[in-house]
Amino acid sequence: MPNQQPSSRLVMPSRRQFLGSAAALGTAFAADMTTLDVLQSPTFASELKQQQKHVILLWLAGGASQLETWDPKPGQPTGGPYRAISTNVPGVEVCELLPKLAQRMQHTAIIRSLNTKVGDHGGGAQLMETGRRPEPGTEFPDLGAICARELGRRDSQVPDYVSMYTSTEGRRKGTSGFLGSRYAPMFLSDQMKPQNIARLEAVSVSDHQARNDLRTLLAKGFSEHRHNDVVASHNTAYQRVKGLMASETLFDVSGEPESVRAMYGPTQFGEQCLVARRLVEAGVPFVKVARAWWDSHGQNFETHRELCADLDQSMSGLLDDLEQRGLLENTLVITLGEFGRTPRINPSLGRDHFASAWSCSLSGCGVRGGSVYGKTDPQGNTVVDGEAKAGDLFATIFEAVGISTHHEYYLGSRPVPIVDFGCKAISEVLA
Amino acid sequence: MIAFRSARIACLLGLCFSESLFAENQPSEPPLSQLIDQKIDAANRANEITPTPLASDSVILRRTTLDLAGRIPTVAETKAYLDDPAPDKRQKLVDRLLDSPDFAFHQANWFDAVLMNENRTDSKWLEYLRVVAAEDRPWNQMFEDLMVPPTESTDDDVNQYAITFLKKRIREPDDMANDTSRLFFGVSINCAQCHDHPLVEDWKQDHYFGFKSFFARTYLTKSDKLAEKFDAEVKFKTTAGEDKHAKMMFLTGDIVEEPNVEKSKEEREAERKLVEKATKEKDAEIPVPDFRPREQLVQVALKPENQHFLAKSIVNRLWSRFFGHGLVHPLDQMHSENPANHPEVLESATKFLIENGYHLKPLIRELVLSDTYARSSACDEEKPPYVDNFAMGQTRVLSPRQYAISLIIATTAADRFPLDMPAEEWSKQRENLERQSYSLANELELPGEHFQVSVDEALLFNNNSRVQNDLLRTSNDRLVGQLRSIDSPSQQVTSAFWNVYGREPQPEELAACQEYLESRTDRTDAAIQQLVWALITSPELRFNY
Repeated sequence: MPNQQPSSRLVMPSRRQFLGSAAALGTAFAADMTTLDVLQSPTFASELKQQQKHVILLWLAGGASQLETWDPKPGQPTGGPYRAISTNVPGVEVCELLPKLAQRMQHTAIIRSLNTKVGDHGGGAQLMETGRRPEPGTEFPDLGAICARELGRRDSQVPDYVSMYTSTEGRRKGTSGFLGSRYAPMFLSDQMKPQNIARLEAVSVSDHQARNDLRTLLAKGFSEHRHNDVVASHNTAYQRVKGLMASETLFDVSGEPESVRAMYGPTQFGEQCLVARRLVEAGVPFVKVARAWWDSHGQNFETHRELCADLDQSMSGLLDDLEQRGLLENTLVITLGEFGRTPRINPSLGRDHFASAWSCSLSGCGVRGGSVYGKTDPQGNTVVDGEAKAGDLFATIFEAVGISTHHEYYLGSRPVPIVDFGCKAISEVLA
Repeated sequence: MIAFRSARIACLLGLCFSESLFAENQPSEPPLSQLIDQKIDAANRANEITPTPLASDSVILRRTTLDLAGRIPTVAETKAYLDDPAPDKRQKLVDRLLDSPDFAFHQANWFDAVLMNENRTDSKWLEYLRVVAAEDRPWNQMFEDLMVPPTESTDDDVNQYAITFLKKRIREPDDMANDTSRLFFGVSINCAQCHDHPLVEDWKQDHYFGFKSFFARTYLTKSDKLAEKFDAEVKFKTTAGEDKHAKMMFLTGDIVEEPNVEKSKEEREAERKLVEKATKEKDAEIPVPDFRPREQLVQVALKPENQHFLAKSIVNRLWSRFFGHGLVHPLDQMHSENPANHPEVLESATKFLIENGYHLKPLIRELVLSDTYARSSACDEEKPPYVDNFAMGQTRVLSPRQYAISLIIATTAADRFPLDMPAEEWSKQRENLERQSYSLANELELPGEHFQVSVDEALLFNNNSRVQNDLLRTSNDRLVGQLRSIDSPSQQVTSAFWNVYGREPQPEELAACQEYLESRTDRTDAAIQQLVWALITSPELRFNY
């Protein structure tokens, strides 16, 4: 195992110790290997640190152009028609399509040196969702599931992971992989509201409650003689229903003051960002809002003029709103897609898939605002400084919200580090 | 010297021979089911573990029916079983279930879940699996079917659909290799892809890439057949940075050498063109190389000295299916660093399987006839015995298909399933159940190693209109309809419990449910629906216990 952090060697003895006592612990071991870290003392400290941390992922599905967002190259043959503008952080420039965000750079760190190599939508998305290359026979959890697992509360009455999308092209259902469906996303498919969250009219409120009470009574007779984690998860799932149904109102923004809604803009993406804020405020650890479709093989510049305006408005509104409510210091906002776009402009005035020198941004919780990490060459073809892999970005995200990057999950006897081998956090962008 | 050596070998052989003769002269061995009980009981005695008592007749009936038929028993089946005074009624039950049409349906669903691990049904593939299950085709033959599916077959030959296993993985030789290794040999070789296996001495990178080489030439023709190229080599970089050509290697280290045939550049080019044509043209003839790696894999895997991988792995998988935990666990970690918890049981069962020509039914029969299988899953000890002691029945979550079919049976009026239904009619009924359960089963997650019931499932049962309008429908063919025709609330409750749980309600259950109904006389239909809802969403239906 190359590139292991020295401290993770310390994990080995405690793992053996744990395996030794597994028999005594009984079935709990089989059902949730991930409880292992409870035995490691540093976890306690980090658990305190990560209390009430949240992540909002703004997923730019299809792949946004770094040149029209965070890494402009004006005046170069690859630069396109747009200017770079200065921001409220001296020395930092972004594309003129993001004027509002340019005035909020004190919250935001830009990473300009992603080299992730995978340039097809499916493979790229998988890589950027899970932070590692896929492996046959092993289903890795995505970022949302890991955050739900590490930042959520077991008995939470709100969802741990909510995933929204706006266009059919952005429709990728997240996966909780080996962490199990307890951490799977509540997925908003064809409406603004999750499926099956609203009560049927045929069942009155009191009957709905009363039949659940009757169920609990019947379940108790069965469960009390059977100490079994899966039975327990079945009961927990039913117990969480009431809280989740109460969270239905979180998805309804109609009660928000007009002034707040105006901050986010009148688009669906804006409304979903507002829903994301409402969810975070209610305690949801991870919300993904997907905005599609950035895949500008043709007419890249018109596409970005439209989509960047939406992103600029809604994300600025989100950052302002979070800040005003005191939530930003505990909420990390990420902009990310499956890859960036080619510096070369093709004959259809488009830019194609490009994964070897592209950008993303992190704002809010744990981030050194105004920082820029990494550098591409003058035309943007290659990374010349601070090359970062998907796993490095994941490590950075984890550190920002206080999740230990030395954490390991166990698949049987096989340790799976939370961050891919050989990856580490980019400390330069962390507060 | 030479003569001396061969004499010694002859002597050794003679010794082995006489020893095995001696074994056969011993009084005949007890059946495998009893052997299992002897070994498990002895281990528990040695560890001072008291097993739970045998479960009640109704629990054994339910457990066995769910495991062999993939559904709960009907009310008529339960009452007939409880009323049967025959001392051998459990054997008769097992034999009846193994011969029933349900077995083939359920066994096919199980094969599908194990081999494809996705909650989506390919009807042609299922058709093949049902035929395999119905005729109890030997597992080694099924392995061969899946590795080397027939390329030339008539339209009505279901064996052609054996192609599905590799076809679904065709894009990635890594998937074909690792899934074949994992599912047929109980060995996940992934870890050895990037480095020699960190925990297991047995596996090096050579094994991983050697195994992968068996699949490296496999491709799909334009006519949708599985074929093999004339050559293709797997190269890899060792952790030491050395470039290596992988040799086709089985997990035991057994190497398959490709005969060295001299071919001219032109010949190779011609072969390449044939392959290219087959990938592009539907009517092109499919070239068949003399050396075909997947056939080689089947041969090397089934060699007498190697076959224990295939045999042990399926034994372990079946054991885990019926006992809730593998003899080796996890199921894909069968290697020297992870020994079996009861090695003699694994040995005996493996021997039994091989002696029975790899037919699965006889083995399944022995497993479910053991006392170990029939122990109660209820335990009031603060620390119940650990699962790998097999000292108690395990509470196992139903597969989506088992649950969906059981839900339909539980919510259907009992008179729709009379006891004396002719086999042919039941077979049709069962096929209907499969069809009707499809969409509901699809909404539920396939349980894996770290399974937990998701809140999506609870929300679905709470608020989805299909549960209300289908399972809880008030028409006469449904349980709700059946209960509507009963006057007394206490009899309604009793009738509902028999339908859903196959038992009488406990006094406190009866009291609570009766009160629920009696306090809602202004809306009796809704009250009955809610009672049935509470019964079918309780873990007593969701689990095999």
